[in-house]
Amino acid sequence: MVRIKTILIAVLALILGILAATYFLESEEKKVKKQFDLLSKWVSKDLGENPITMASKAKNIGTLFAESCELKVPVDSITAAYTPAEVSSYAIRGRMQFSELALKFYDLTVEFPEKGTAQVVLTANLKGRLMNGELIDETREVQSVLNKIDQKWLFSAFEVVEVLEK
Amino acid sequence: MVTVRFAGNRVMLLKRIVALEGEQVAFRNGRLMVEDKELEEPYVRLPCHWNLPPRQVDKGCVYVVGDNRSLPMETHYFGQTPVKRIVGVPLW
Repeated sequence: MVRIKTILIAVLALILGILAATYFLESEEKKVKKQFDLLSKWVSKDLGENPITMASKAKNIGTLFAESCELKVPVDSITAAYTPAEVSSYAIRGRMQFSELALKFYDLTVEFPEKGTAQVVLTANLKGRLMNGELIDETREVQSVLNKIDQKWLFSAFEVVEVLEK
Repeated sequence: MVTVRFAGNRVMLLKRIVALEGEQVAFRNGRLMVEDKELEEPYVRLPCHWNLPPRQVDKGCVYVVGDNRSLPMETHYFGQTPVKRIVGVPLW
């Protein structure tokens, strides 16, 4: 009787452990995905956006990034690292070239190769209208790394995957 | 025509397979050359002036190009892709 009771308690503890681990991982995945939602929201620009909103969004974009974020675009031989302040500065300049802009992310797959690190593979679509009226519609596969720093998931790397190689 | 996937299945590219693994592909004054022979392409309606040196398609890959080639080559998204990225064909 005592033996059955011990086994039942062990099974119950195992189930609770699995549920807790699943909940924890799902919760962390949601937090990682939320960072992409915020990046999308703050990069995107509505027609007639006022300067205060523009400045606020650019400043907010910087808060999503780690002290150093590496950008790799192999097809253009680009490898560079940016600070949050540089990211905000580039965001201001980049967004100013557009009258409207929408950044969307699709098919995000999140993995946690080690504690405090998230690897995300996704499809990014940037659609917008330049100030001269030209339409832009670019889609790329992107691999991103986020690190958990002070309880926040921050972007530390982006690499554009070469799906088609000329 | 085939669809080429990105990270998942929600966003795809619609392209035409023009060369298979091991074949050599190039563009000469807008004409598509496969194994040094010009490929008949009645579906290309707009003028094209692309030039791309010959390259061999890697193992496990195919070479895909879109039909609208009036854009500058640098802004048109085409090239070699792994077969595993081909996920279907259009139904029309």
